[in-house]
Amino acid sequence: MPLAFEGVSYSYDDPKGRKKKRAHRSAQTEPAAAATGGARRWALHEVSFTLEDGEFLGLAGHTGSGKSTLIQHANGLLHPTEGRVLFDGRDLADKQAAQECRSAVGLVFQYPEHQLFAATVREDVAFGPRNLGLPEDEVAARVSEALALVHLDEADVAERSPFELSGGQQRRVAFAGVLAMRPRVLVLDEPVAGLDPVAREEFLALIGELHRTGLSLMMASHSMEDLARLADRILVLAGGEMLRLGTPEEVFSDGEGLRAVGLDVPAAQRFAEQLRAEGFRLPRALYDVESLAADIAAELGAGASAAEPAAAAAGPATSQQEGHHA
Amino acid sequence: MPDAALIGRYWPADSPLHRMDARAKLVMSLVLMAVVFVAQTFWGLAVCALFIGAFFLLARIPLGKALRSVAPLAFIVVVTALLNVFFVQGGPVYFEWWIVRISQAGLVQAAFIACRLLLLLLGVSLLTLTTQTLDITDAFEHLLKPLARFGVPAHELSMMMGIALRFLPQFAQELATIYRAQLSRAATFSKGRARTLLSLMVPLFTSAFRHAETLSSAMDARCYHGGAGRTRLHPLALSRTDAAAAGVLALMLACVFATNFIPH
Amino acid sequence: MSTLEPSGFALGAAAASAAADASDVAAAPATAAPDPAPAVDAHGLAFTYDGSSFVLQGIDLRIERGEFVAILGGNGSGKSTLAKHMNALLTPDEGRMDVLGRDTRDPQATYLIRSQAGMVFQNPDDQLVASLVENDVAFGPENLGVPAPELRERVDESLEAVGLPGFQKRETASLSGGQKQRVATAGMLAMRPEIVILDEATSMLDPQGRASFMELCRSMHAAGKTVVMITHFMEEASQADRVVVLDGGRVACEGAPDEVLSQADLLEHLNLDVPFSCALSLALRAAGVDAGVHVRPYELKEELCRLHSKA
Repeated sequence: MPLAFEGVSYSYDDPKGRKKKRAHRSAQTEPAAAATGGARRWALHEVSFTLEDGEFLGLAGHTGSGKSTLIQHANGLLHPTEGRVLFDGRDLADKQAAQECRSAVGLVFQYPEHQLFAATVREDVAFGPRNLGLPEDEVAARVSEALALVHLDEADVAERSPFELSGGQQRRVAFAGVLAMRPRVLVLDEPVAGLDPVAREEFLALIGELHRTGLSLMMASHSMEDLARLADRILVLAGGEMLRLGTPEEVFSDGEGLRAVGLDVPAAQRFAEQLRAEGFRLPRALYDVESLAADIAAELGAGASAAEPAAAAAGPATSQQEGHHA
Repeated sequence: MPDAALIGRYWPADSPLHRMDARAKLVMSLVLMAVVFVAQTFWGLAVCALFIGAFFLLARIPLGKALRSVAPLAFIVVVTALLNVFFVQGGPVYFEWWIVRISQAGLVQAAFIACRLLLLLLGVSLLTLTTQTLDITDAFEHLLKPLARFGVPAHELSMMMGIALRFLPQFAQELATIYRAQLSRAATFSKGRARTLLSLMVPLFTSAFRHAETLSSAMDARCYHGGAGRTRLHPLALSRTDAAAAGVLALMLACVFATNFIPH
Repeated sequence: MSTLEPSGFALGAAAASAAADASDVAAAPATAAPDPAPAVDAHGLAFTYDGSSFVLQGIDLRIERGEFVAILGGNGSGKSTLAKHMNALLTPDEGRMDVLGRDTRDPQATYLIRSQAGMVFQNPDDQLVASLVENDVAFGPENLGVPAPELRERVDESLEAVGLPGFQKRETASLSGGQKQRVATAGMLAMRPEIVILDEATSMLDPQGRASFMELCRSMHAAGKTVVMITHFMEEASQADRVVVLDGGRVACEGAPDEVLSQADLLEHLNLDVPFSCALSLALRAAGVDAGVHVRPYELKEELCRLHSKA
């Protein structure tokens, strides 16, 4: 259990009220603590979850929902006003633990290419490992490894200035800079923001690959499609509070609840909801384009044999195959 | 997002001070500073404090907010006061160790300087708290106008000032983000190594250039072509309030000047 | 809203100190009135930043007044460069670009074109000039020399139009990204332009901000503005009257959204997404259901419901 949030609340008004509040909380019963908490503005309130080993946790919520604040708790940049964050069972309020966690939890900010600074790609990627005090040969090995992970050709880019590269490549360099610290957990804030469709796809594929190498991942995204596709579980934040935590199927089965807080479900799921309202029988909990097409075909094909024999013949057949291996 | 702490960011309210002409306010805050310097005794400072307190009351700015607005510069007050404690000597000595010696004169002088600086800062923040940056820059431009015939680009200077002020909170926020991003890459800033400092400054400057490039396009797209022929949403105009303010300031100067003759 | 703003022209003239400019601008409404020139008219337009590699080449594009056109393309397709030609921020190296019948290379017409072809940029943080909303909205008309009482009128009217009434005294720094883009739009509308150019104005907004900004675009179009929207979001493009796709600095194809956006192969080839309902239409066809190819989800839904009721 690498990363656990336990009743984490954070207030920008009074970020350092930690000790006082803790004493207060232990003395009082839960409801009373909640009542005193209601007076201040919480950027995060009572957030509890555990990022399991190897898990891909999606983080949904619109701007101002507390996503960025939560993310900065993951490696001890911010400390909870109430509650605690544990990494490998150690409280990040402890300075030593927070320091160690910085290298084990890699945090990639939004538009990370805006944080590049060194004269060459190699120097920039080496920044993290050098800060860890690693010997030069180890640093060099880490740089090669990280550049390979993000599919950049070391021979081609390592000695070039990061500022000469295209936007998508710059973002890869920034990713490499974090990966070179060999984190066990990777936390990403809107990793594909501002990329065009092709670059976006490439990047999501890259993130999927990194996850398959065994990294635990936490990714904040506006795109419900991306979260539905990649995440094992999704945490939905609204106004700093946990609205939902569950598998994509569970979270996206309630479109109304999500729309009430200004979010939505993936387009295919929304379309399925609309068709259900029109009397379509669509059994699955979560749809993507392919599965939706298959089930619509099944639904239309079931009684359409007289009117459209061709479609009826093709429809159920394909949909059943789809249905089996889904 | 945490608010970027800035000295005396505009505090919206409807008060006589807010309504005053920005040019008048700019000139009068200079006079106000001078008045604070005229005060040579604690009595004089007390009179200044009384007047400045009254101004804040009149401007409907809570005193706590006023003090917080100068807090980022409190270190200047502290450092100056400490220098006085250690370097001004005279009267009974309260503490002595190695080369450090704290005497009565030092403490008195330190208290005096600290009060004076604090009042100065409050006086300046009074201007920025009650005047929108654009109006300050407009006033600045107006006051510089006579110099335009000697080739001083008054409009451009004030436009630059205005844009710098507009982008200040943004840069503060960006710097905070960059700082946290580099912390996440295990950077330690306490040791002040050149590389870690570069890791903050280079991204900040590239971002500034990026902003500047788009901003200049955006200004061009909105037909900006310098000061000629420009009109103003809030044309500056002197009013009776400004005259009254000048009167109050004169009264303050007289009072403070009088205190200099009070025997210690 | 009237299509031409005589006061705007006269005031634009007052702003420019050159007397020649004044007479030139004053003549504009007279020449524009009898034969309304198209909003944008490009002929063989080519442009290069560095003198060797062309970012745009051989662009022929005509946009009529009152049209809602989406310009699509991946990164590096030249779409933003083309947008900057539409308000004389850039001028062609070859060929020509006329905006409302005026050659953008004519220096006398620059301010007229810029006031009549307003532009909203991508980054909400980079285009606001002032710290206070009303001062920012007033910036454009101030530059045009609009007198103070009318400035107030224009500021209030523009903020109303973008759905931010009462925001006059707010600080720009305290606004959300979506609100900043609305302020930027208000600042552009305060110049009372004929053409509205949105250069990836939604790309840095969250889905909620994007959806409400699209609504604003539609309302500006309904109010009679010519809307040119540069985007790489298909769902946005599908709402336009016409779609123009750029690729490698050339017009790759253009037409009604239904024609262009339903060509999945072509879009993929051009590094663009296929809109959801097209993707579903095609997946349905592969699964044996021919419901036609629809760009807008509600049309596909209607068609499927029709098939369903028959079945």
